[in-house]
This record gives sequence, C-alpha cells and structure tokens, in this order.
Amino acid sequence: MNILLCCAAGMSTSLLVSKMEKAAQEQGIDAKIWAVASNQVNLNIDEADVLLLGPQVRFLLPKMKQLGEEKGIPVDAINPVHYGMCNGQEVLKTAINMIDNNK
Amino acid sequence: MNKFNRFLEEKVMPVAAKIGGQRHLLALRDGIIATMPFIVIGSFFMILANLPIPGYADWMTSIFGPTWSAKLNYPVDATFNIMSLIASFAVAYRLAETYKVDAMSAGTISVAAFLLSTPFSFNFTPVDAETGVMVTGAISKAFLSSKGLFVALLIGILSTEIYRWVVKRNIVIKLPSSVPSSVGKSFAALIPGFLVLFVIWVIRLLVELTPYENINNLFMTVLGEPLKLVGLTLGGTIVAELFVTILWACGLHGTNIVKGVMEPIWYGAMGDNMTAYQAHEPLPHIVTQQFFDNFIHIGGTGVTFGLVLSMVLFAKSQQMKQLGRLTLAPGIFNINEPVIFGLPIVLNPIMIIPFVLTSIVTVIVTFLGMDMGLVAKPVGIAVPWTMPPVISGYLASGGHLSGAVMNIVNILISFFIYLPFFKIYDRAKKREEDAMNAAELKENIL
Repeated sequence: MNILLCCAAGMSTSLLVSKMEKAAQEQGIDAKIWAVASNQVNLNIDEADVLLLGPQVRFLLPKMKQLGEEKGIPVDAINPVHYGMCNGQEVLKTAINMIDNNK
Repeated sequence: MNKFNRFLEEKVMPVAAKIGGQRHLLALRDGIIATMPFIVIGSFFMILANLPIPGYADWMTSIFGPTWSAKLNYPVDATFNIMSLIASFAVAYRLAETYKVDAMSAGTISVAAFLLSTPFSFNFTPVDAETGVMVTGAISKAFLSSKGLFVALLIGILSTEIYRWVVKRNIVIKLPSSVPSSVGKSFAALIPGFLVLFVIWVIRLLVELTPYENINNLFMTVLGEPLKLVGLTLGGTIVAELFVTILWACGLHGTNIVKGVMEPIWYGAMGDNMTAYQAHEPLPHIVTQQFFDNFIHIGGTGVTFGLVLSMVLFAKSQQMKQLGRLTLAPGIFNINEPVIFGLPIVLNPIMIIPFVLTSIVTVIVTFLGMDMGLVAKPVGIAVPWTMPPVISGYLASGGHLSGAVMNIVNILISFFIYLPFFKIYDRAKKREEDAMNAAELKENIL
C-alpha cells in the first residue's frame, strides 16, 4: 500500500514517516510511505492509496478531499495528538483502516 | 477556558481556513516559493563574494584579479535579480492549475504581459557624468528583481484571470482533431493571449500619460511603498506575528497563512537589502523574510527552542520527559510541530500565553537591537529557515557576530518566559501520572 502524507513543507510530516515505516516493518506490512509539501500533492497523488494531512494544514482538507474524490482515494487530517507525539503506529492503523474502508 | 477554546474553534478557524485556502493567496505563495531555489543559489555566490574573513578580498584579488567579486555576482544577477520574472511565470502557472486551464500557456502569457508592462529603456548616469542619458533597448535589472515583484505578481493574477475568462467562454481557435494536441494547445492560447496583452498594452499607454511614466512606478508609489511602510514597521511586524501565533494556537499553520499576504512585502524587503548589500550601501530594512526565519522563529514559530530546553532540563512528568527527548533534534532545525501538537500548545491556554508573549517580546527586542545598530540587520542572503540557530543569525547578518549573539539572547528570553508556565503545566501532568500510578497500585494490592 502507498501512504502519502502532506504538510506545509513536508518537513514535520517526514518525522512521522520514519516512525510509521518502523511500525510497518515491525508488523511485517509492506508499505511505501512518503511526505511532500502541500503544493506537491497533485504530482504525487496518482501513486497513493490514501492521503493524510498534517493537522496544521487541515484548512486545505476540502480542496484535498475534492482531489481525492477525483482519484478515488480517501483523504483525512491526522489526529493532532497522534501527530504531536509522532505516534507512527496509530497513524499507520488509521491509514490502513481508511484504505480498507475504501475498498 | 472552554469559552476561549470555543471562540478559537468557531470564530477564528473558519476565517483562517478561508484565507489559507484562498486560491489567489495560494498562487501568490506558490509563485514566490518557486523563486526560492534560485534565491538560495544566488545567496551562495553572494556569501562567497562577501566572506567576512580578514584578508580574504586581497587574497582573492591576488589569484583572480581585481574583477573577482564582479564575476562572482554574475550568478546572483541571473538568480536573485530575476525573481520577479520567475514569480510572474509561477504565480500564473499555479493559479491556472487551480482553474484547470492550461497552466503552461497561462504562465508564458504572464511573462509576456509582465515584460510588456516594463519599459525597455531607462535613465543611466555614467560614472563621470553629471546628467543621465536615456538608454533604449535594455531592461533595467531593477525591474526584474525584487522591485518588480508587486507588478509581476499582480499582472500574473490579472493576466490569468483574463485568460481563464476567455477560455471558459470557449472563445478560442479550435483546430480539427487530426492536428496534434500540443499544436492545438498553442493555437488555443492565441485569442486569450492577445486579449491579455492588449489589456496590459492599453494600461501601459494610459499610465504613460500620467506623471508616473510606467506601471512599475505607479504600483510602487501607490501600492508598494505604503504597504512596505505598514508591513515593515515594528507595529506591523507585531500584528503579523500576533496573527501567526494565534493561528498556530488554533493548530493551523499560521506562518503559511500569513505568508500568503505578507510574503511579497517581506521578500521585496529582502531583495532591497540584497541590492544595497551588493552595492556596499546601508541596508534599508530591518524586517525581511530572514528577520522571521533566522532571528525570531528559533526552534520554530513561537521561539519554542527555550521551551524544548526547559523540557529537556526540568521535566518531572514522564510525558514531558519523553516529549523533550522527541523534540530536541527537530527543534535544532526549527521544526516544532511535535511541540505544538504534542505538548500541546494548541488550544492549551496555559501554554498559549508564553507562546504569544515570547514571540512578541523577541520581535520587539530584535527590532530595537537592529534599529539602534547594536545588531547587524539581515543583509538579504537567503539562509534556509531550517538552519540551526546561532549559525543562522551569523549567516543572515552577513557574517556578523552580533547576529549570532542576537540568536542566543532570543533563546534566553524564550527560556525564561516559558519556564514558569511549563513548570505549572509539568506539575499538573506529574500529579495526573502519580494519581494514575496510585490507582494502579491500589488495584494490584486489592
């Protein structure tokens, strides 16, 4: 599965990416996870199965949801508590659930 | 407290969401971001041309001859000094994308429109002459650098709006489907392109009848200078920073939202300082993009570096100890989302107070320090915002120790403002943890 994360510059979400990758590895899940800046999303969304937004850019959610609908993938903002504590495991679980529900 | 949170959620959030998602502001921001790589590359050569090492200039002259510094400035002129040209393309490109019209055509038309607004002649005063001569067939580089930024951005938006209006009404030349699509597209841009250029041409002819002589002068006098006057004063800076921190306190990327409005001003000021620095003249502005990136946002917005230090040094609760370890490394590179959402500062009144207070105090102290000449002003070199503090202040001030010292002073200010608030918060967390542990212990005994 391919999980795309986005925030303003793709910097702070990339912190979360490494934690999520570790969680995926521990659970034996084969996942491609990467973070981009919000203006790079349309160049990356074709490869993604799910798009998660950092809570600080959740004002972009309506726009991104529309983009997700066009591509047929689920889009949501990350829970701020999970985001702040860099809880890779929980965010990974959310992403997997979103992909499963989309099927 | 709940009332305060509700106010933030219900009143501030929707407005912030509107501004943050507004397509023209997004396009402005993206248009300026596109110039960033070039500005950083140009800055690299500028640093080389101005290394603050004694004897460096003489040493370079002895190897490369007296023109070495001018030669190092070639790349600066082709990067930093064409930022308006790049922005004029990028802002139109991004705006056209949001309208789902051909972005490449909109971008190229915008460049032509921008150049059409620019006089291909200027008044040049030779070194030994008393009076200037009118040079024709040349564009003054000032128009393409930061001085032209307002015009470039506004014309980019205007031209793309005209372009979209025409295309959406289907007033285009349609070719038979047997013609390759890329050929068809270039023809499709003909009528909208003609209309855009016609409008700008007429505007230019009208402006030439006025004492402003050209569009650039008109914009700078009517719009640019007043905006700078407001945006670059201490008061204007405090208001901007207040918005940034309050938006972050709602959990929204305040820096990014406010940038959409203020960036043309702050980038313009950066360019002005750079031009003065290149010419070895006094720097005109205190507040530039780097004033925030490299002097105020140390550890991230809200100067949270001092807060992270208090966490690392004084945390008693497990949660805060863990957060301190987690946030130190990103904090050194001025990334603080883990602090803002992890502590959290978001919707947490006890931490919002020092978050806003520290920002305002550091803005005032830094501004006054530079105004009184105690601290070197940012010279216009674009130091990335992720540059660790102390080094960043040194580089942004063109290699002045006072810049590094200013960073340290701001870290100390932040540390002492955050510490008492953090201690209150940490104690509460510790009590929570103790109560939980006691409850667990009780359960185990029973």
